[in-house]
Amino acid sequence: MWLMQMLSETGEDTTKQSGNRVSSFLSRRDVQQAIRAWVFWAVTLGGLGYLFIPHLMADSASKTMDIVKSTFMAFYYTSVPVAAVVLAIATQTVLHNRHTGTAPPPDDNPAIETNQMANIVWVVISSALCVFLLVWGLVVDNVVAEPSRAANATVVNVTGQQWIWTFNYPDAHKDTSELYLPVDQPVIFKVQSKDVTHAFWIVQMGIKINANRGEITETAVTPNKIGVFDVRCAELCGLLHAHMQTRVHVVSKADYEKWLANQGSVEQWPAS
Amino acid sequence: MASELITEDRTRHSAKKSVGIIRHLNLGTAVIVGALLAVTVNRIATKLIIEGDETWRRHDQIVMATMLAWFIGFMIGIGALVGPTRWFFGKDLNHDEAMFLAGKDMGIKRYFRYTTDHKVVGIQYLILTIALFFIGGVLAMLIRTNLGHESGGLIPPQVYNSIVGFHGLIMIIATIIMITGPFGNFILPIMIGARDMAFPRLNALSFWLLISILPILAATIALGGIPMGWSGYNPLADQGPLGVDSYIFTIVIFAISSAVAGANITTTAMKMRARGMNWSRTPLFVFGTVASVALALPAFPVFMLSQVMSAMDRAFGANFFNPEFGGSAWLYENLFWIMGHPEVYVILIPAVVAIMEITPVFARKPLFSFNMAIVGIFGIVGLSIFVWAHHMYISGWAPLLNGPFMLTTELISIPTGLLFLVILGTIWRGSVWTRLPMLSVYALLFNFIIGGVTGIFLSDVPEDAALHGSMFVTAHFHYTLMGAGLTGALGALAYWFPKMTGRMLDEKLGRISFWLVQIGFTVTFFGMFAVGLEGQPRRVEAYDIIFKNGNLISTMGAYTIFIGMLILLAAVITSWRNGEIAGSNPWGAQTLEWMTPTPVPLENFEVLPVVTTNPYQYGIKQETSS
Amino acid sequence: MVPVNKALRTLGVIAIGSLVVSLCVVLAMGVSKPPSILKAIQNGKAQTPEGLLPAAHMEISIWPDSMQGMHGAHGGAHPDFVSYGPTSHFQVPAHSVVTITFKQYDSGEKIWNPYFAKVHGTVDGSMTLDGKKVTGIDPNAVGHTFTVHGMNTGQPDMFLSIPLPPTDEESEPEPNGYAKPHIITATFITGAAGQYIWNCEYPCGDGSYAKFGNAMSTGGYMSGIFDVVDANA
Repeated sequence: MWLMQMLSETGEDTTKQSGNRVSSFLSRRDVQQAIRAWVFWAVTLGGLGYLFIPHLMADSASKTMDIVKSTFMAFYYTSVPVAAVVLAIATQTVLHNRHTGTAPPPDDNPAIETNQMANIVWVVISSALCVFLLVWGLVVDNVVAEPSRAANATVVNVTGQQWIWTFNYPDAHKDTSELYLPVDQPVIFKVQSKDVTHAFWIVQMGIKINANRGEITETAVTPNKIGVFDVRCAELCGLLHAHMQTRVHVVSKADYEKWLANQGSVEQWPAS
Repeated sequence: MASELITEDRTRHSAKKSVGIIRHLNLGTAVIVGALLAVTVNRIATKLIIEGDETWRRHDQIVMATMLAWFIGFMIGIGALVGPTRWFFGKDLNHDEAMFLAGKDMGIKRYFRYTTDHKVVGIQYLILTIALFFIGGVLAMLIRTNLGHESGGLIPPQVYNSIVGFHGLIMIIATIIMITGPFGNFILPIMIGARDMAFPRLNALSFWLLISILPILAATIALGGIPMGWSGYNPLADQGPLGVDSYIFTIVIFAISSAVAGANITTTAMKMRARGMNWSRTPLFVFGTVASVALALPAFPVFMLSQVMSAMDRAFGANFFNPEFGGSAWLYENLFWIMGHPEVYVILIPAVVAIMEITPVFARKPLFSFNMAIVGIFGIVGLSIFVWAHHMYISGWAPLLNGPFMLTTELISIPTGLLFLVILGTIWRGSVWTRLPMLSVYALLFNFIIGGVTGIFLSDVPEDAALHGSMFVTAHFHYTLMGAGLTGALGALAYWFPKMTGRMLDEKLGRISFWLVQIGFTVTFFGMFAVGLEGQPRRVEAYDIIFKNGNLISTMGAYTIFIGMLILLAAVITSWRNGEIAGSNPWGAQTLEWMTPTPVPLENFEVLPVVTTNPYQYGIKQETSS
Repeated sequence: MVPVNKALRTLGVIAIGSLVVSLCVVLAMGVSKPPSILKAIQNGKAQTPEGLLPAAHMEISIWPDSMQGMHGAHGGAHPDFVSYGPTSHFQVPAHSVVTITFKQYDSGEKIWNPYFAKVHGTVDGSMTLDGKKVTGIDPNAVGHTFTVHGMNTGQPDMFLSIPLPPTDEESEPEPNGYAKPHIITATFITGAAGQYIWNCEYPCGDGSYAKFGNAMSTGGYMSGIFDVVDANA
């Protein structure tokens, strides 16, 4: 209530009844303008995000990446109203309170030094948003960790070295320079480096883990789409870092078995 | 402004004493002594250090000894050791010498000496900051030119990697000093009604330490560059060429400089405020600057330590970070980020408080929720110490800690939100006096909200697993450090330019520059967000052809920023030389720096002021001050 | 103040700034002179598993120092760096069968990733070593590797890795002062045109962490460009 008192102190409508303070606050001209600006920004930002962001993000080839994309959109839509508040107040003041010229404007503005209600509302809302982010984060973090707990997961040893990736299938005793994965089968990557720190990143599967020398780090994913995807190094690792890339071929289970059984050189060039 | 003027009884030395050796010391002697000592030590080291099995360590040892010699020689030559030497023999500088050091009646020469007047140091910092931004900006253009070329690859990789490293290193140094350097030194003491900083000689020291770095940095070009980037990750840095030794020295000296400056500014703000200026009457800029340098006090020594360890690895095979012999890359990453995350707030907070200082003046309203601003600033400072490992979610170091670090990181959004509340509350129902500083307020709000929101995306562990190491991160931190940080600094420059130079910053050129920079900025980093989301890694000299359009857009935006910045540089140069003469208080502001004449006299105040209210009394009926 | 003067000064600052950038771009591009290009010599056609294809060949040497190739008789900036020669920029025709002959003059030891002791990407997964057909060499004795790969981008993927065994240091030196070289030939079929890079995957950058600094991390010694170009280009 203090909020309303403070804000309406020198406002256009001097207060009538205490019960009507909220509505009288909302009906003030500057508040109305700010609300219109807020709606404009919320709709614009939300619409732009809805239209463009899904197309900007890399295609998804795993549930993990689906979650990454939906988390991005969820956080985006959560932040739109907050950002719109900032932009709305900025817009309203610029449009309606502008003072030009070389002399300072006269001090005829309300001398509002603080407003307890505004402070409280602000802190409560930002805390609530913070809790939302945290809970969301913990929940999805648990979901994307599911493949690493799968009992039937395939294990692939990943080796990063300057500036090339190699892969070892311990069960099949097979070494390759490109990844082959069966679709819908959880796979655990045990990642290490032979030299400096690299980062093993399958772009379309939304997973990434550093490759360290002398340590084995783990990440896991279940590919759910047949196709060819990208492995890129995501940690500056020296001269040819930009070129430290290779492919992931996600194939049907039958094709995967066939590939495993082929003990000869599978990498014949040209590839196609 | 309800301040009272009293005369201070000051005794003056009447005895005429000569000025000793310091009369002959300046930048020229510093360079000569530094170079001579460096050459001598280099010769001796080359002779003495025997060629063993590990020839590469010998080279590192020689280079490090040479750099150390240069550094010591330079500091001797500039006169940094004159005072301490006298103390050692139980003496001190006499009054004439102290006045000489303060730059009394020295004209332009005082800018090339070990001058202690905080206003001289402030101007020196300002010029240095502008120079660093120019160099860093040129490097940014090299990066963008390479990436604007279809799928990159225009510049050879080892050169490109070093350019990226230099751009990062120079810009980080520039952004750290961009506000606490020029304005923290020039403005802050006047703002609190002091005659100088608490430790004037330390003030000069902090500046000349930075200058001593510049030749070391330049030498890097001849020594093979710093292809491991500004973060200097080990073991990649261990593998790097001799240029890495330059990087190590740069960081160590910079850490000393920032510790010296930090202790000085903190002490000044604590002990030297005018009579009556209790904490609730102290301008917010003082709080923010102190928070920033105080945060740097624990952060930078950790960085310095990591570089000392890195130097020992390189020169003596200490293997702190060499996993082959029991060292750990994770150790380096931890040490680096324990500095690295507080550091972004070291950069950001002064920018935000400068904007908070500007906003009430141009909105003609009291600062909204002064207390909340302080809670916000110190909330950020406190939390920022506990968030470093969000840079290491995907390092594999301690996956169990990802949850807790996600919590602390997201908690920071609450005090950060308070900073928005304060600025928004101040402009709400205020005037918008559309001068250059006020434009920066709005630009900061716009950029900082984008930087903040994208930071929230990255604080989420699975989201970070997808986006870490991509151009999305690059765009995010440019939004915070440049979009918010640099914009705040440019606002501060426009705001305090009249006080520092006696002339107004050209409004027309300033506006052209402002729009070019801000539009160019938005274009550049939206392009970068796009290619980051699509999967382009950071710090690559060549990229998949699918990222072509986004990179081209970024490059065009970057050129726009650069042209805008050059126009600002032109505005600064022309305005400084023959801009419109500014009065002592052209903005009608209420903080103390606007209560002294312009140009500010040697000891700032004829009579020291007494403060009776806080400096945000806009619209408040004033009682006539006695 | 005259406004024209101000405008001129502003343009001057912009001009100087742009000039500085252009100058730096030129400097950065040319800091190490771009190496001359070694083009494969095309001669006739050859029968391959893919049918009758145009054939081409080239010869590449690997030296224990930099005195023989593109770095000049005095070895350039780093005479002691190991190097490939005669240059580090190679060009082969597209859709062709290419044979590279390697003359390996350098010594070596154990390789830490045995994957690179095997032959990858050649016609039948083999190469000839001093006339004998092999599919790999002993991982405990590797001199260098010639490994070609590239970014994922709008061109065919390529992966070729040829292990090159070390010289016998006990052998009689050649007239040029180096140990008797191994002669390795590798034959592979190229796809459509594209730009790739090659580097050595045997850690031979002595005196640096993981032996991947120095010659390994400086372009033009143990790494370079490998172009596949349309035959008539």
